[in-house]
Amino acid sequence: MLEIRDLTVRIADEDKEILKGITLTVPKGEVHAIMGPNGSGKSTLAYAIAGRDGYEVTGGDIRWDGQSLLEMEPDERAAAGVFLGFQYPLEIPGVATMTFLRSALNALKKKRGQVELTTPEFLKLIRAKAAELGIKDDMLKRPLNVGFSGGEKKRMEVLQMSMLDPHLCVLDETDSGLDIDAIRIVAEGTNRMRGPDRSMLVITHYQRLLDYIVPDKVHVLSGGRIVKTGGKELALELEKSGYAEFAGKAA
Amino acid sequence: MMASFSEAGRVGNEMSVAVTRTEAEEQLVRQFAKVAPELPGGARVAELRSKAIAGFALTGLPHRRIEDWKYTDLRTGIKAAYPPAVCSQAKVDEALIRAALGTALAGVPCIALVMLNGRYVAKMPPRGQEAGTGWEFRSLAAAMGEPDRSWFWQNFERDVGGSESAVQALNTAFLTDGIVLKVREGARLELPIHVISITDAKSPVALATRTIIRIEPGAHATVIESHVGISHASTARQATAVTEISLGEAAEARHIQYLSGGADVVHLGRWHVSLGKDAVYRGFQLTAGVGLARNETHIQFTGPDAKLDLSGLMLGRGKDHIDTTLVVNHTTTGCEGRELFKAVLDDRARAVFQGKVIVAPEAQKTDGKQMAQALMLSEDAEFDSKPELEIYADDVACGHGSTAAELDEDMLFYLRSRGIPLADARAMLIESFATEALEKIEDETLREAARAIAVAWLGGATAR
Repeated sequence: MLEIRDLTVRIADEDKEILKGITLTVPKGEVHAIMGPNGSGKSTLAYAIAGRDGYEVTGGDIRWDGQSLLEMEPDERAAAGVFLGFQYPLEIPGVATMTFLRSALNALKKKRGQVELTTPEFLKLIRAKAAELGIKDDMLKRPLNVGFSGGEKKRMEVLQMSMLDPHLCVLDETDSGLDIDAIRIVAEGTNRMRGPDRSMLVITHYQRLLDYIVPDKVHVLSGGRIVKTGGKELALELEKSGYAEFAGKAA
Repeated sequence: MMASFSEAGRVGNEMSVAVTRTEAEEQLVRQFAKVAPELPGGARVAELRSKAIAGFALTGLPHRRIEDWKYTDLRTGIKAAYPPAVCSQAKVDEALIRAALGTALAGVPCIALVMLNGRYVAKMPPRGQEAGTGWEFRSLAAAMGEPDRSWFWQNFERDVGGSESAVQALNTAFLTDGIVLKVREGARLELPIHVISITDAKSPVALATRTIIRIEPGAHATVIESHVGISHASTARQATAVTEISLGEAAEARHIQYLSGGADVVHLGRWHVSLGKDAVYRGFQLTAGVGLARNETHIQFTGPDAKLDLSGLMLGRGKDHIDTTLVVNHTTTGCEGRELFKAVLDDRARAVFQGKVIVAPEAQKTDGKQMAQALMLSEDAEFDSKPELEIYADDVACGHGSTAAELDEDMLFYLRSRGIPLADARAMLIESFATEALEKIEDETLREAARAIAVAWLGGATAR
């Protein structure tokens, strides 16, 4: 279970707080959506969970499986089961996708006290997962994300997620820059990961992703606070009325 | 000899600057007088040597007030001149080569021509196959005694050094030996020729060696030159190393240099490359942990439509100082030049890149691109980059760029968020930075050997 309590976060070198007291619980087996206008703090929340430098937690706590994440390094959080799907996945020239995934997977296995995969085991696993997402072999041999289209990068994020076997998946604007076909592929990949042992937090500006990844709950984030929580129908309301009604509440 | 050691050459337009000789400069001139009678070559060579040391005596070691040496001051970099190396009794075998090169590079199949303390000692039998019959070589000391070898003498006498280049002058004066290599017209060598220069002296020594390579029209060859020490010997050496390589019409050469040895090494290298019509030259310089290195390369296009790719990777930590200086001279039409040099710098290490590209009025359709990039791992590291374009032709495409950056924090976070620990993520990104340069080495076996050297160095285990 993900438990966020009274979380306040500011960005280092900036005086103002971006998150002004977030309280949120995502039980195992559930998918929650965070929706909100630009600048509401959605990505800040994602980075705070993943432990990015420069996102300073000034109050409250983030707990996963009963354990606070705050003192952990980003790689330790990954080992604890946290995965962040990036809004803008980075291009890493000179590092083959396959090599990167293998290093990441084995680093996690080592930290989790599991046995590292042999080369044939790894190849078998990655080929099966890649096939599900329509990722071709030559893409795996190319440097990570280099020259990939927006859709390819997001599919690669989902491939990484399914390879690394996290239990808390935070997807930051996974739908941005994608056409409907790409959204469908990414959503199917994500839905395959839904299960009684996993919590998911899907961050999005638009409702349309939630047609494909149907959430158990929707939280509206505005001005650094959660201003409304509801069922999946809340997303549809927002699609009609927009975020204007919440602008006042947040101020 | 001391009598000619005047101030005249140095002063030039700096009349007001009183110059005193450094200890090292005086030692070098004294040493020459002492060792000259024992150096190889007949009267013809002796005359060249005298001319060279006289030129050196006028100018001394280059220093920061000389524009080309602005960032690399040898007067402060060389405090004392080491005595010339003497012959070694060591037996040259595969174990010695492995100790000197490391297992990765020693494992690359090649024909090895081994030099020990500045003298040619052995051709090592090829592992596996022969390189083919289309080539021949002599030791330089032997070639000096063969007056009828005209192409050798043309190359050898082309540039004595004198007052224009102290490095060339010192090399000519103190030259003990080297390799003279010819690849015959149309020949295609299947294996690289690897000139391995090993120092195993027990105390600090000076070396002066030269490689003269002629690739005749239509011939293809790969030449590797390694300048290395071995761990159980003294790590201090001062070397001048000159390479002359000429490519005939439509000849192709791959030319790779590996330089290592640690903080006490001074390596002053000079390459002269000339490319005939339609020739293809791909040069690569890997410098991994050298106290003071200067790799100066002069490229001359002698025929149209030739292609040049000259790249390198400089790896420095501690107080290493690695200088790459290029002069690319386009004097004929339609030639292509690509230069990519990268530096990874930690601690107080410093890299220098000076890249001068000259395009003469008649060198129309020249296509030149140059890039120098440094990755700074420490706030105290320094990168001095001075690209220079001198273009006198009007129909050319030339560009250059230079960057110095730290590791990208966003990339680091991305890798760490996937479970990769900080140290591994850093190593991955540093390797990623170096890879673009390493990929200039076309041959996979050689590229992977170079990568292994770079990775070992990055991991802190500086390969000697």
